[in-house]
Amino acid sequence: MDEIIVKTKGITKYFPGVLANDHIDFELRMGEIHTLLGENGAGKSTLMNILDGIYHPDKGEIYIKGNKVHIQSPFDAMTNSIGMIHQHFMLVDTLTVLENVALGLKSQGFYIKKTEMAKQIKQISQKYHFNINPYSKIWQLSVGEQQRVEIIKTLFRGAEILILDEPTAVLTPQESNDLFKILKKLVKEGKSIIFISHKLDEVMEISDRITVLRKGKVVGTVNKNDVTKNHLAKMMVGREVLFSLERKPLKRKGKVLKVKELEAYNDKGVKALKKISFTVAAGEIFGIAGISGNGQKILSQVITGLRRATSGKVILNETDITNVSPKAITSSGVNYIPPDRLKVGLIPNLNTVENTILRSYDREPILKRNFIDYEKATGYTKSLITKFNIMVPKIDAPVKLLSGGNMQKLLLAREIAEKPKLLIAVHPTRGLDVGATEYIRKQLLKERDKGLAVLLISEDLDEILMLSDRIGVIYEGQIMEVINIEDAERNKIGLLMAGVDSVRN
Amino acid sequence: MLLFEKRENVSTKLKVAIPLISVFLGLVAGGIAILFTRTNPLIVYKALVKGAFSSVYTFSETLVVAIPLILISTGLIVAFKMNFWNIGAYGQYIIGAIFGSFFALSMPATMPRPLLLTIMCLAGILGGALWGLIPAALKAFWEVNEVISTLLLNYIALYILKYLMYGPWRNPASHGFPLSKPFELNAQLPRLLVHTRVHLGLIFGIIAVIIVYILIKKTKFGYEIRVIGENKRAARYGGINITKNIFIAMAISGGLAGLAGLAQLSGVIHMLQIEINPGYGYTAIIVAWLASLNPIIAMFVAVIFGGLEAGGYQIQMAIRVPFGIVGTIESAVLFFLLGGEILKKYRIRLRRNTS
Repeated sequence: MDEIIVKTKGITKYFPGVLANDHIDFELRMGEIHTLLGENGAGKSTLMNILDGIYHPDKGEIYIKGNKVHIQSPFDAMTNSIGMIHQHFMLVDTLTVLENVALGLKSQGFYIKKTEMAKQIKQISQKYHFNINPYSKIWQLSVGEQQRVEIIKTLFRGAEILILDEPTAVLTPQESNDLFKILKKLVKEGKSIIFISHKLDEVMEISDRITVLRKGKVVGTVNKNDVTKNHLAKMMVGREVLFSLERKPLKRKGKVLKVKELEAYNDKGVKALKKISFTVAAGEIFGIAGISGNGQKILSQVITGLRRATSGKVILNETDITNVSPKAITSSGVNYIPPDRLKVGLIPNLNTVENTILRSYDREPILKRNFIDYEKATGYTKSLITKFNIMVPKIDAPVKLLSGGNMQKLLLAREIAEKPKLLIAVHPTRGLDVGATEYIRKQLLKERDKGLAVLLISEDLDEILMLSDRIGVIYEGQIMEVINIEDAERNKIGLLMAGVDSVRN
Repeated sequence: MLLFEKRENVSTKLKVAIPLISVFLGLVAGGIAILFTRTNPLIVYKALVKGAFSSVYTFSETLVVAIPLILISTGLIVAFKMNFWNIGAYGQYIIGAIFGSFFALSMPATMPRPLLLTIMCLAGILGGALWGLIPAALKAFWEVNEVISTLLLNYIALYILKYLMYGPWRNPASHGFPLSKPFELNAQLPRLLVHTRVHLGLIFGIIAVIIVYILIKKTKFGYEIRVIGENKRAARYGGINITKNIFIAMAISGGLAGLAGLAQLSGVIHMLQIEINPGYGYTAIIVAWLASLNPIIAMFVAVIFGGLEAGGYQIQMAIRVPFGIVGTIESAVLFFLLGGEILKKYRIRLRRNTS
């Protein structure tokens, strides 16, 4: 059990302007789940990409089973029985599971031996309870299933060492649990796993040992049984972290948003919202809890005018804003933090100023007679950067160079600066490190205290419980129940999220 | 073994060095091609440069080619900035030329020159813009891929031109050749320099470059098309009217291509015929991209391309190498320039295989 299967010695990697890995010593024992814990930018992914042959270390050595190896490419990694499951899946959507597994296999000739491969895939699938049909097309699979296909890919290639880069970032709580079961099964079968994460709860749940990275350096390696969550957080961030936030008593005022029997369809033409009704009052945070894909995204899109409602009404302060243009909705006082900051909320290749003025470029004082006053825009951007404490090294550099946390802060700052009556925040802290998460949550509470109505949509139940005043649980496009925070129990909400109706049961 | 690593940003030194080295390597490769014609490449290159830039006359011929390239590429930049792939400058150029010719051929020779020329220019812009608005509408209302629609419209434009030239607009006195009546003096754009063919279109080009530059960098429209081009979903989220901007951008893009076509007729060819160099519509795509969609840089790139072509005619006459060799050199240089773009994005390292 204590045999060391992977060992790195003094791994050092420079990127322009950053020392991503600074003399990293790391050991993986055979048959353990070893977590690499660290904030975004701590160097976890860099180290793993080095093990997978995607990057090449500037200094340092890698030993597999005691032998020194040079891993030049993911293919080399594979021959050393290392397989990596990336956060963004490397799958071809339009191909089947089998075809994706076959891609790049050296053992395959000109023709793919389909029946034989299908048999092997089924075997792997059964052994680890993956429940994957080799002939399904990737786009038909859920995110969790796609991840299992990635795991099958590595196992098919004979991986003994699996690296999972933040695998739960894209999963629902349920899917995460399924994944953990699979990982434990894999370890039982003799595989060794490196698990990358910055979520403390799951780290405590799954790991045998934990190595903490901070700013490219190893802070320490600990046995899970010897540490607590707080201890890990401190190692990771370098200071004490609050796990609960101070909330001022609720001062609910008039109803700002009324959603009445709203219905809408998703891209596949399936009814995704079924007569949804709820209200959000000024000064309260209304949380929508639910497993991914139960209509949350559609709901936010319909309220913000990005998707048509087929029936029902959205009423903002007594004004009907159903199916009005996104622009009109924004100018009537609804602002929106979309679920995907880089795909929707920001323009990655444009600079910080150009991103900051997305909401305000078309009016005074930034717009003057159809010309944009970039000097004013820069001043405005700088004021937001200072006020919201955003780290922007160069204001005229593409915004994609900012860290995830700073991008989200910028987005939040831009939306709050519009002084909305209603703020819709969807997954506001997804993928962010502890520090940035804390900051964003505090800001949301602060705006609530100032009287803003906040509609919070999140798949992170802890976040919902921490911030919301009332919680609506959504399941298959319906609100199962609305619960006051005082009466909120994790278990009950979990059941509602899974569609178990407490009243009818 | 060659390894590619992503670069975060490129130093200014490299930004200058990479294209220069690329051009050099392109010339070397082109030189090898020239060797097959049993000619010394150095002599050819020398003649090429001489033929393009050595005297007032040769440089003026370079500018004559550069004028349509400047106008078209400037227009294309507007469309490309918003990720609208206008491959149809070819057709917009032709339709602009046809619209302008209509007035040149139908107005009396006594009409005041400035008045007729103004009408012709406006007609050229209008023609190109209308031809550009067709794919814009197809895209905006039915999501038709603009690469296909603009490309196919090029053929339609060409056949409209052929129909006119073999049919109603053929000059009865042309002995059956598909040519229109020559333009009267009042339909010819004035020359800027005596004894050269450089015409007023150059000024149009420079004005267009300045306007488009300001448009993109300073105005609300410019901001909106940049946001659309970089991230359509963010644009929709920000409440930007994408349809409206597609229409405006394609009207500008097509309009400038149309003006280029009209200027070529009215300034150089002085009649409508089948061969009116619409191929500039394709060359201008390359010009726009090599200039990284910056209209001011595009102006200089257009002059270099003009020089290649004008110099090409010269070497064909002076050294008797085939004109095709110019195309070969042009392609070789382009090939290396595009290859060089990869170096801007990736760092390439050589590794000895240890196994």
